[in-house]
Amino acid sequence: MRSFRVQGLTDDELRRAAAAAGLALRVDELRRIAERLGRDPSMVEVHAFDAQWSEHCSYKSSRHLLRKLPTEGPTVMQGPAEDAGILHLGEWQGEKWGVVIAHESHNHPSQVVPFEGAATGVGGIVRDVLCMGAEVIAIADPLRFGRAEDPDSHQRYVARGVVDGISAYGNAIGVPNIAGDVYFDERFDDNCLVNVVALGLIKERDIIHSAAPPGSAGWDIVLVGKATDTSGFGGAAFSSVTLDEEDEDANKGAVQVPDPFLKNVIMRATYRVFSYLRERNITAGFKDLGAGGIMGCTAELCASGGFGAIVDLDDVNTAIKNMPPEVIAVGETQERLCWILPGDVTADILQIYNQEFSLPEIARSACATVIGCVQGDKQYVLRHGDEIVMDVPIEFLTGSIRDDLPVRPMSERKVTDPARRYVGGSYDLAELFPRILGHRDVCSREPLYVRYDGVVRGTTVVPRGNASAGVIAPLAGSPFGVALAVAGNPRYSKADPFLAAEYAVLESVRKVTSVGARALGLTDCLNFGNPQNVDHYSELVYAIDGLAMAASRLGTPYVSGNVSLYNESRGGNAIPASPIVACVGALDDVARTITPALKRAGSALYAVGTPQNASGGAVFAELLEQTGGPLAPIDYDRANAEIAFLHAARDAGLILSSRSIGNGGVAVALAEMAFSSLHASPVGVRLSQPESWTDGTVGDLESYFGECWGFVVETGDRRAFEAIASEEVRVFRIGETIANATFALGGVQFNLRMLRAAWSSPLAELYP
Amino acid sequence: MSTAKVAILVFPGTNSEVETWRLCCDVGLDAHVVHWSHAATLPRYDAYVLPGGFAYEDRIRAGAVPAHDPMMDYVIEGAQRGKLVFGICNGAQILLEAGLVPGTGPLRRPTAAFTRNGPVPHFVCRHVYMKFASDPARCAITAALERDALIPAWAAHGEGRLAATAEHLREIVDGGHLTFVYARADGSIDDGATPNASALGCAGLTNREGNVLAIMPHPERDGWNYNHPDRKTGDNMLAPSGGALLFQSFAKALA
Repeated sequence: MRSFRVQGLTDDELRRAAAAAGLALRVDELRRIAERLGRDPSMVEVHAFDAQWSEHCSYKSSRHLLRKLPTEGPTVMQGPAEDAGILHLGEWQGEKWGVVIAHESHNHPSQVVPFEGAATGVGGIVRDVLCMGAEVIAIADPLRFGRAEDPDSHQRYVARGVVDGISAYGNAIGVPNIAGDVYFDERFDDNCLVNVVALGLIKERDIIHSAAPPGSAGWDIVLVGKATDTSGFGGAAFSSVTLDEEDEDANKGAVQVPDPFLKNVIMRATYRVFSYLRERNITAGFKDLGAGGIMGCTAELCASGGFGAIVDLDDVNTAIKNMPPEVIAVGETQERLCWILPGDVTADILQIYNQEFSLPEIARSACATVIGCVQGDKQYVLRHGDEIVMDVPIEFLTGSIRDDLPVRPMSERKVTDPARRYVGGSYDLAELFPRILGHRDVCSREPLYVRYDGVVRGTTVVPRGNASAGVIAPLAGSPFGVALAVAGNPRYSKADPFLAAEYAVLESVRKVTSVGARALGLTDCLNFGNPQNVDHYSELVYAIDGLAMAASRLGTPYVSGNVSLYNESRGGNAIPASPIVACVGALDDVARTITPALKRAGSALYAVGTPQNASGGAVFAELLEQTGGPLAPIDYDRANAEIAFLHAARDAGLILSSRSIGNGGVAVALAEMAFSSLHASPVGVRLSQPESWTDGTVGDLESYFGECWGFVVETGDRRAFEAIASEEVRVFRIGETIANATFALGGVQFNLRMLRAAWSSPLAELYP
Repeated sequence: MSTAKVAILVFPGTNSEVETWRLCCDVGLDAHVVHWSHAATLPRYDAYVLPGGFAYEDRIRAGAVPAHDPMMDYVIEGAQRGKLVFGICNGAQILLEAGLVPGTGPLRRPTAAFTRNGPVPHFVCRHVYMKFASDPARCAITAALERDALIPAWAAHGEGRLAATAEHLREIVDGGHLTFVYARADGSIDDGATPNASALGCAGLTNREGNVLAIMPHPERDGWNYNHPDRKTGDNMLAPSGGALLFQSFAKALA
């Protein structure tokens, strides 16, 4: 077997040799491998470790930090150990049902080849949910783009290509896109963020684990899906390095090629396999192929069960002949899954994939095929031709490795001055409010999400864009609802990476609450710069502390997550700290979903929460060129009380409509609620003067457009609504609804349709 | 419950079979999902529903390749013998490509197609209303609908614009093939109500004999009250909504 020389080389020689072979492994890591094996590693082995020990697979600089996140609680059916986590939805007809959730990034590939990068992001996250044994029921896509105004810019190419890729893939496989967000910021010019979230539905007793089951020595390892090709070679390592423009061609080769058509059929065939196995009470192992390809997947499956494996690379269905063994072993060709099956059912499972669902006719050389078997000893062995090309202790390959990197103490973190107040300069509300509505972070996302199928499966209750969260009724015949929302504000990260992470959690929980759902749990995707840079790494450390703090205080555990580092270009431009959080909520009865459209004239409008003189990260401050204000600290006792109050008011039938307050503040939330009423009978808004809301303790601009408080609510029964607010909950009567299409604010009477035009048009140029 | 057996056809790439099957069952039909590898069982069924999706990944033009799938041999034969055939979205595209609808030309030589949306050629997901534009008796599947009925539905397609030569469009109008047009919630009709620049504002067509119906929007995605954007508090959320009216009419035709 071809070996990669380590022994006898100087550090410099080794570094050069590694670079020439396209390896991201460091010199100390290469030496560690040679030392443990007692010989130079083979070419296949060195590529296997390159993938397996990349940040992408090993979380070597983040795993120990992630232990700080709360992962337990009564809502957790399965915590973050496998490809996806599971939350308790409820009991229905004697069965316990769970919502599966997975969250991932596909940032690097999307920056290089946006359409394919984003599409394969959706493809990968769907497989993570599928391989738990679940039916895939929804997806969401938090996106961060650079400045896309210039028609000839790469940023515009990325912003369009990503949306087209998500649309093409998600629509074809038939999974509704029910939530997501998008921010535009120059700090994403060189590194876009494409996060994807997928949800699944499963009965507790039907969960399939990503591990070779007990007693499975000698069982078959069955590879399912697309023929392995040369695409995606070095993908995991590619995700764990800084993007270099000169290497564009190599980078492109590392991007996988999506095939949603094949995936559509594989999903349906796999659902059929699930029922076959359930009818016979067979426990199998199942995992999707992602980073590290066949090697990564089979090694992790078998190692998790306490086994070893032998895989014969000659038995892998490949798209072209004579592929090098390391490419077959580690390449990240899409649309592949791997089963661990007892030998006596293998033939039936192959029949389902290959004959009943005719995979070989759907895509060239696609099929299900046996490629190896589970071994009782803990060695991981790959055969190719007549040779053993890899033979390593499996736990050395998949075991945890850790990089201890320097961090600045929390006290040294850069934060904006908490005492700094917004200084009210001159402004004209008649001009400012439409500008806020048209701001790139506020304006309507419809031109983007109209391209996504948000209603396939016929389960959609609140479609994308209508409310702060999407809602579906995924379990046929039951009244259960599942809500999904995402959050993570890059403007806040500028002010304070710790508080920004806390706000990401709080905002996602509030969004789910605003549609009437109980928050069940969270996922987090940590998108950061280069961990070798102490400032960027420190931001990651602070953000995880913030995520942990907020989730513990709000009682929402994390069941799954992902880390994406090295979001930095060679020029040193790093993205802002971007912890992105997704929250899953449950409704016992979708009849009690709160919808955001204002319902009728004459209702009272309330803001629930604590308005503060904190302009940090606020859109209005950016537009008035007075940035640098602080973020308001979060009072969790109040935040919890407000959430409980919303539920109580909903249960008492006192909420006609509601929205959580986000970008653009109270005024924008209300405007969007009023826009939602325009297609039927228009309901307008009359806001009273802010002095009357807060006794003048909070400035006018912060009152109208401040972003840190909780919810706006329309209620038909003022007295009852105020009566059930506990002492900890602050409710402010801020105005009333009126019977015409106007919006009165600060003495200015706006025409609602003109406001809507300002809000709905900006992205139409980018997404015509 | 009707004794008629209904097959919901799944081609490679179909993606809406489950909700279509659920709504068929909820209106009392004996419906079964039939995959392509079981095509030979199709003659046993009394009616066929072709659901939405991207059969054969919309190669060439949506519906063009599946129109030549062996499953369509059975559907064409059934249609010619008077069986009811109901195509939704991708199913409708397949029926046009197969020449079953409007059925004014030879088989598999379409005289009209649902093709790339206008004015901008991208996928559109939008809530719409389909206004019943023909005489109820004209098509068996719509026979139980009231005149001018409004069916709520979701348009969710990239290729839903009816396109044909002026001569063939005239044939469609004169022959009474135009079954549904896009409308607003109040029943009014204007260009803005049509999500895809479809000729004649067409949302659905039938064949000469009235036993085959092809509609682009998905009424089964506004099939239960919880789906409906303007549902009222107090409605039974799990009960069929306006989109089910058309399925109920289909079930009556099979009773």
